[in-house]
Amino acid sequence: MTLRAERIGLLALPGLSFLAIIYALPLFMLLLKSVQIDGQFSLAEYQLFFADEFNRAVLWRTIRVALLTTLLALAIAYPTAIAMARAKGIWLSIFLVAMVLPMSVGVIVKAFAWTIIFRTRGVLNDVLMSFGITDTPVRMLFTETALIIGAANVFLPFMVLPIYAVLRQMDTRLPEAAASLGATPAFRFLNVTLPLSLPGVVAGSAFTFSLAISMYVIPSLIVGERQQTLSMLTARSFLYLRDEALGATISSILLAIAISVVLVSSWLAARLGARQ
Amino acid sequence: MNQSARPDRGQRPYLDVVSVGKAFKGTTVMSGLDFRVAQGELVSLLGPSGCGKTTLLRIIAGLTGADSGDVVLDGRNISSLPAHKRNISVVFQSYALFPHLSVAENVAFGLRARGVAKSDTGPSVTESLDLVRMSDFADRPVAALSGGQQQRVAVARALIVNPVLLLLDEPFSALDRKLRETMQVELKSLLRDRNMTAIFVTHDQEEAMGVSDRIAVMNAGQIEQFAAPSELYARPKTAFVMDFVGLSTRLAGRVRHIQAGQMQIETAHGALTANGTLPVGTHVTIGVRPELISPEAGENTVQVTLTDAMVLGSKTLLHGAATEPDKLICELPGMRAGLSRGDAVTFGWSIADTLVYEATP
Repeated sequence: MTLRAERIGLLALPGLSFLAIIYALPLFMLLLKSVQIDGQFSLAEYQLFFADEFNRAVLWRTIRVALLTTLLALAIAYPTAIAMARAKGIWLSIFLVAMVLPMSVGVIVKAFAWTIIFRTRGVLNDVLMSFGITDTPVRMLFTETALIIGAANVFLPFMVLPIYAVLRQMDTRLPEAAASLGATPAFRFLNVTLPLSLPGVVAGSAFTFSLAISMYVIPSLIVGERQQTLSMLTARSFLYLRDEALGATISSILLAIAISVVLVSSWLAARLGARQ
Repeated sequence: MNQSARPDRGQRPYLDVVSVGKAFKGTTVMSGLDFRVAQGELVSLLGPSGCGKTTLLRIIAGLTGADSGDVVLDGRNISSLPAHKRNISVVFQSYALFPHLSVAENVAFGLRARGVAKSDTGPSVTESLDLVRMSDFADRPVAALSGGQQQRVAVARALIVNPVLLLLDEPFSALDRKLRETMQVELKSLLRDRNMTAIFVTHDQEEAMGVSDRIAVMNAGQIEQFAAPSELYARPKTAFVMDFVGLSTRLAGRVRHIQAGQMQIETAHGALTANGTLPVGTHVTIGVRPELISPEAGENTVQVTLTDAMVLGSKTLLHGAATEPDKLICELPGMRAGLSRGDAVTFGWSIADTLVYEATP
């Protein structure tokens, strides 16, 4: 048994070495730069970073945008996942293609598409004005709201698919059993479907949050330099400021946030799983 | 409820399924099906898979809508009532316990769905768990339970809401044979004590005979016969019922002539006599229950070469050589050593025990 398991474990070796050499090692070397000054260990870079009010604002904005993007994606994804879990045949295929196909369209193309909708003389403003909801065009492009809507759109499949997978696996007789015990549709949803789908919600939220906190192209195109995020700050440090230590520091902070999200979500998933 | 008030079969039905029809994607599962159950009766829907028994159960529960017909319960037409307003509890095949809830929370579910506060469900839950002897497991997660324990929890969960009707879909199929028999006895007495009206769906004829007052044998969306187990076994209405319920010796034959209410029937194993007056030339199926056959000459006699003699402890089964669909089976009480493959034996039985059915082409 053990021997067999060990041998099967060997199959992961190529993938692991690939990750170690191409990803983990350089990343480690980069991160090392954030805690070293002239070869000495130092947290000065971090103190410097957090001392700057601008940096703190960027950090908070990055987290806020990622959180709101996750919430918006969840609000849209959950009903979609329910519909998909119940869909059959051609409808299921249509749903799946609709989820997967947009991923093959480059994120730059999508971000530009959003600018068409959001700009001052864009589609959305035309609609709003034609209905008389507003007299003058509303400024939407270059706002945080536009960024959140755009990001939620791009990351939607990463939220929908894990929830869909969990709902699809759920025993359809559970809601039926609940119904036969007198539970109304709302009671069934709140007490059976929703709690059983939480592992999918946790996984989808972790994916979306991780992607949203480190996104670069979407904020660059939708809000531009006006409202920086951590990723943009990182790129600026490396490319324009040539400050590798600052870049490494911001990267480490981003990584720390991402790792804590992964840890918290796997802890949550394990806890939810243990009860089932 | 008065314990001694056994249902009178002639009374107004408690559950009245009237002319129900259902089709899935253009394929008719059942049409014009009638089914009546008296209060306090334990009834089984017995049949092979695909016969429509589960569909009928789901229509009664309100989990599947019928295309036509009505479901009337206690004089009230509930056809258009959604499942959660019917107060009909269902015990599902693999119990469908809520995996995220503890045993006690599972049992309390129906009460909470009826708006009882979580803190007030305690006494009823304890009582229900006592009933199925699961009180010691109240705080366990349901995944940690064995099959038999899960079934007990499912039954407690279904009964705590005092349902007007209990439906059980293959409730014993997930249990091993020994446990299945214990649980059948247990469940039956529990339901009797509460004068519960219950419908079991099963494909296992022994189970159906063990738990029910009456059995509805279903085939291809129709109820072929609805009768007490003894009646069903002794006087099966159709060849299908005879084949599905219990073993039988069966021979294909053809009516050769009729005389004084009796038919001479020609079979591959000689001429046999049976009561009845089917027209001469009719293709028929003859059946005899194996324990009514003795290894000596009788009013009907067949010479048999044994292919097997199975000593099963309380009984011995003799199988005779026959070509499909003919079957020659004799059941003798006790252990009969000394008979083996290749022996020539006589099977004899009476005319009264000879069942005849017009063969379906």
